[in-house]
Amino acid sequence: MHIPDGFLATPVWATLDAAAVPAIGFMVRRAQREFDEARIPLLGVMGAFVFAAQMINFPVGIGTTGHLVGGALLAFTLGPAAASVVMAAIITIQALVFQDGGILALGPNVINMAILGVLAGYLPFYLWGGGRWRKLSIFAGGTLSVLVSAVLALAELMISGVKMPASVLGVSLALFLVSGLLEGAITLAVIQALESIQPGFIRRPAVGRSFALGAVSMGAVLLAAVGVLFASAAPDGIQKLGRQTGIASRARTLISTPLSGYEVTFFHSSWLSKAGAGMAGLALIYVACLFIGRAVTRHRSV
Amino acid sequence: MHHVVLERWSRGNSLIHRRDPRAKIVTLLVFLVVLATAQHNLVTLSLALFALLLAAVIAARLPLAGALGRAGIVLPFTAVFAAICWLAGDPVRGIALLLKSYLSALAVLVAVSTTPLPVLIRGLETMGVPRFLLMVAQFLYRYLFVISEEAQHMSKAAASRGATARSLVGGRSRFRAAAGALAVLFARSYGRAEDVHRAMLARGFAGHFRTLGALDFRRSDACFAALASLAPVLLRVAVERAG
Repeated sequence: MHIPDGFLATPVWATLDAAAVPAIGFMVRRAQREFDEARIPLLGVMGAFVFAAQMINFPVGIGTTGHLVGGALLAFTLGPAAASVVMAAIITIQALVFQDGGILALGPNVINMAILGVLAGYLPFYLWGGGRWRKLSIFAGGTLSVLVSAVLALAELMISGVKMPASVLGVSLALFLVSGLLEGAITLAVIQALESIQPGFIRRPAVGRSFALGAVSMGAVLLAAVGVLFASAAPDGIQKLGRQTGIASRARTLISTPLSGYEVTFFHSSWLSKAGAGMAGLALIYVACLFIGRAVTRHRSV
Repeated sequence: MHHVVLERWSRGNSLIHRRDPRAKIVTLLVFLVVLATAQHNLVTLSLALFALLLAAVIAARLPLAGALGRAGIVLPFTAVFAAICWLAGDPVRGIALLLKSYLSALAVLVAVSTTPLPVLIRGLETMGVPRFLLMVAQFLYRYLFVISEEAQHMSKAAASRGATARSLVGGRSRFRAAAGALAVLFARSYGRAEDVHRAMLARGFAGHFRTLGALDFRRSDACFAALASLAPVLLRVAVERAG
């Protein structure tokens, strides 16, 4: 889900753009450690592959088709840091050449899909990819990568004040879940096919991580993503409650400011507090993911 | 393919085409920020900014209908959210979403279709965007059409063997077949990338592109950047004063 320009409130895109700069810088340094500059063609061509992969349709039930998104597949084959850089390059090209996603929204899109999406997709594989849960971890990685980035995008839109009734929210969450599961299935099928035609593409993480620890950390990733969503939905819910019980209308008569001024001040204050709460949550997740990313890459480079 | 259009437009020659990419990037960012932070009198402001972009499209000698239509790619996605906002009782925000996203897309389109992508990327590099990322993006763009064509050939070949017909073959094996095709595409892309890499090493590639002719930021570029980025700011101030 590429967010176009004009959707996000100023504090949201500004903060995420500011956060994306060091995050992508960090990923670039990590990727450079493994792929020196002379091997850049490889990353570029694999980015082109992800683009082209959208042309091969997968049958999904009755008459509909889906296609690969690719973040998790790249993470399993190139490693998470290089996958992040490739995804960021894809998002940049999409924004510039295909008018798909905004320029000011580049930071949010990169964070959602190229950084947190890729890391969330890599996490299960990193934890259990070497053991008997391997298939499941590949599937879960594909699912998580799409689910986390979609939920983050939705949360950013809601923090920005795009109204979303509960029914629409439910339907879109269900759609995200379905497309996430589809991505998981496609990723798993492609990796199995790839291993049968030419083994050696897929990285092998270490064996023997405890299942409980992995489940907890994966749960944390999912919870964090969904938590952002509900944190951003909560102010709306409180407002609705106030409207139903009539508190809001009583408060409105108490304040009794001129209509134009009232609207502006009310809009500003709620907008700022919402954004502040959301940003704090996002910043926490961002820091958490940076640490996860650091741990992941440090372990692998040894 | 439709994206070749943009490539052709960017090779044109006009007052805007000749400007330094950095001048255009700065102007674009100012325009986008002015638009994104606007809240009052949005419809009037949008009309004024639209007129500004229209002037830029005409000055750049881009096909008018083509440019306006191409920027409309964002509209289907935006329209869904605008409709949701409208139904949720916030029509003002719905209209704001439509106006802002369309005008932003048009502004980006004007900048990108007056600057060849390699030049644009070189401009971004001198402005401090990590070179590693930009080089990946550049290779990506260069091989996009090659790999896409290969994917099209593969899906056409699969279709001619009956992959799309509702045959006796069940969904599961068709899913497998698509995964197999994608895996083959992956392996071929990887192989091609290694060939490209070796060929480039053989020709003395040391990890960065050598470009003929450096960018130079002349006085006319500075004038363009100053005037063109002042225009949306002044328009917004004027509209907000009037409102």
